[in-house]
Amino acid sequence: MTDSTSGPSAEPRRSAGPAGGAGSRGPIRLVLVDDHRMFRSGVRTELDEVSGNRLDIVGEAGTVDQAVAVIREQRPDVVLLDVHLPGGNGRGGSDVIAGCAGVNTEAGGPVRFLALSVSDAAEDVIAVIRAGARGYVTKTISGPELGGAIVRVADGDAVFSPRLAGFVLDAFGAAAGEIAEVDEELDRLSAREREVMRLIARGYQYKEVAKELFISVKTVETHVSSVLRKLQLSSRHELTAWAMGRRLL
Amino acid sequence: MTSQRPEPPAASRPPLRRGGEGSLLAGVSQGLGDHLGLHPFAIRALFVAMTAIGGAGALIYAFLWATIEPVDEQDAVPLERRTSPGALLVAGGAVVVMIGVLGFLQSQGLNLRLDITIPVLVLTVGAVFIWAQLDTSGRQRLLADQGGSPQKALGRLVIGAGLAVVGLVALTTQNADLGQLRSVAAAVVVALIGVGLLAAPYLTRLWRNLREEQAATARATERADIAAHLHDSVLQTLALIQRRADDPTQVARLARAQERELRSWLYAGPVGPAATLAGAVAAAGHDVEDLHGVPIEVIITGDRPLDADGQALVNALREAMLNAVRHGEPPVSAYVEVGGRSVEAFVRDHGEGFDLDAVPSDRLGVRESILGRMDRHGGTARLRRLEHGTEVSLELPLSHEPQGADS
Repeated sequence: MTDSTSGPSAEPRRSAGPAGGAGSRGPIRLVLVDDHRMFRSGVRTELDEVSGNRLDIVGEAGTVDQAVAVIREQRPDVVLLDVHLPGGNGRGGSDVIAGCAGVNTEAGGPVRFLALSVSDAAEDVIAVIRAGARGYVTKTISGPELGGAIVRVADGDAVFSPRLAGFVLDAFGAAAGEIAEVDEELDRLSAREREVMRLIARGYQYKEVAKELFISVKTVETHVSSVLRKLQLSSRHELTAWAMGRRLL
Repeated sequence: MTSQRPEPPAASRPPLRRGGEGSLLAGVSQGLGDHLGLHPFAIRALFVAMTAIGGAGALIYAFLWATIEPVDEQDAVPLERRTSPGALLVAGGAVVVMIGVLGFLQSQGLNLRLDITIPVLVLTVGAVFIWAQLDTSGRQRLLADQGGSPQKALGRLVIGAGLAVVGLVALTTQNADLGQLRSVAAAVVVALIGVGLLAAPYLTRLWRNLREEQAATARATERADIAAHLHDSVLQTLALIQRRADDPTQVARLARAQERELRSWLYAGPVGPAATLAGAVAAAGHDVEDLHGVPIEVIITGDRPLDADGQALVNALREAMLNAVRHGEPPVSAYVEVGGRSVEAFVRDHGEGFDLDAVPSDRLGVRESILGRMDRHGGTARLRRLEHGTEVSLELPLSHEPQGADS
């Protein structure tokens, strides 16, 4: 058993003053959850470098129980969440999201989770997304990209890595040509959503996707969020079967 | 670990051994005294007294001498005792046979007071059985030490039981005519039931041991496999990385190759070179990564068997990826979509981009390996210059798909 008493390293190391906030609002308050201390400090350094003072890392945790405690105490805007964590009910990141249900940020919005994992296994990805994470990126992501993803998640948008997009296309049968007739259909992607997903899978940034499809970035974000919702709510049986039966790499 | 069993007796009781310090003969009395917390002298007196009654004491002494493990100088650990229920039964069977012989002798005129000796003997054997069953160290020995050969123990058990039956039959039929055989048979059945009742816990325990042992072996094998794999791959790579620490490109390449290898081992299991399009694409991507040390994110949706056209697509894709890592900037990504009517593939980098027209015509890379190759196989290839980087898109229609053959 991991002893949760051995110090959830809450490190209330907020930036010195509230004056740090660039732009219209204060810095995004961030909690890092990963069971590898080295990885946490690496991410911290990288984010400090790229974000200036737009990001404020207010806490770290290495287990499910520590993470829930730190998040409940700090009420951050965004949690950078590892998929595999010790403790809890053994479901890692999903347990953290479940344990933090109902926790709101200081501004009153919901705490958003961005899954950050070294695992490409489909069942891990699908589990943490369906638990409520707003996005999924792999640990090889570059610092600036990670910073951008955090900002995007803090704004309530969804973040799809190319790999997650590929997964979505496969799991929803969109690659094989299945297209929803109505946008609201939960079990299939609409033609536009499929286009957006394909471009993301091809390595396009949201901006490039927008340009390619002659739509606004905001519209791209809407499509991605809508796909995320389908991913979370769909009862499409292939989704789970796919996740179980096939690995992403 | 071990499932629940009867309440443990005093844990500090020394194991039943013979021949400890202060032994006179074989150390049986000394050992019994130590084990039971009695003065060995009292036990010796008991043996002597019982020997006076038809020699039962001597018999019991011999029986205990045969079954109790001698003290081993090196180990005082109770787990090391080697007697097993099988051995106990063999000894018990031997005793019963012995009694049969004695009975025979008596029928020849020797008076051995069997009316007293036999009940005493049976009682003792039974007591030893039950005691062994309740004995903590015995249980531990069964679980831990016997782990090596439950089958052997089972074999001993069977032999012992058989021996006991033979002995009982010999004993009860020595003077009997055939008319008495019915009652003899009944006695044997009763005895067998008794032995069965006594042995039942052992049998279940042995069975459980066997199962546990098999599971443990499987686990150990798995662990050994993992350790071997980690040693062959990860540790070797880490050593290499430490030696090449001053060469970031090499380090990145090594780390990436190792990551990929470990990932495929962890998540995909042991698979040979895949004869599917997806497998071939992934392999091509890994190849290019290894050649140039630039990571390529390869994403594949759908799959199909690899045919000649598919192989051509893979080759063209490989060339495109090579171009991307050589002339473009990372991140490089490749996306392959295997659809119902066609296969589409995209390779994208983030470099400056280039004009096909500006490429000297003697450079065969793009023209021949990508455009020409796709053309020959009925596909198309396009080169697009994006704001950041270049994208090569390949398309291969799947005309000879068996779609009409079986609807």
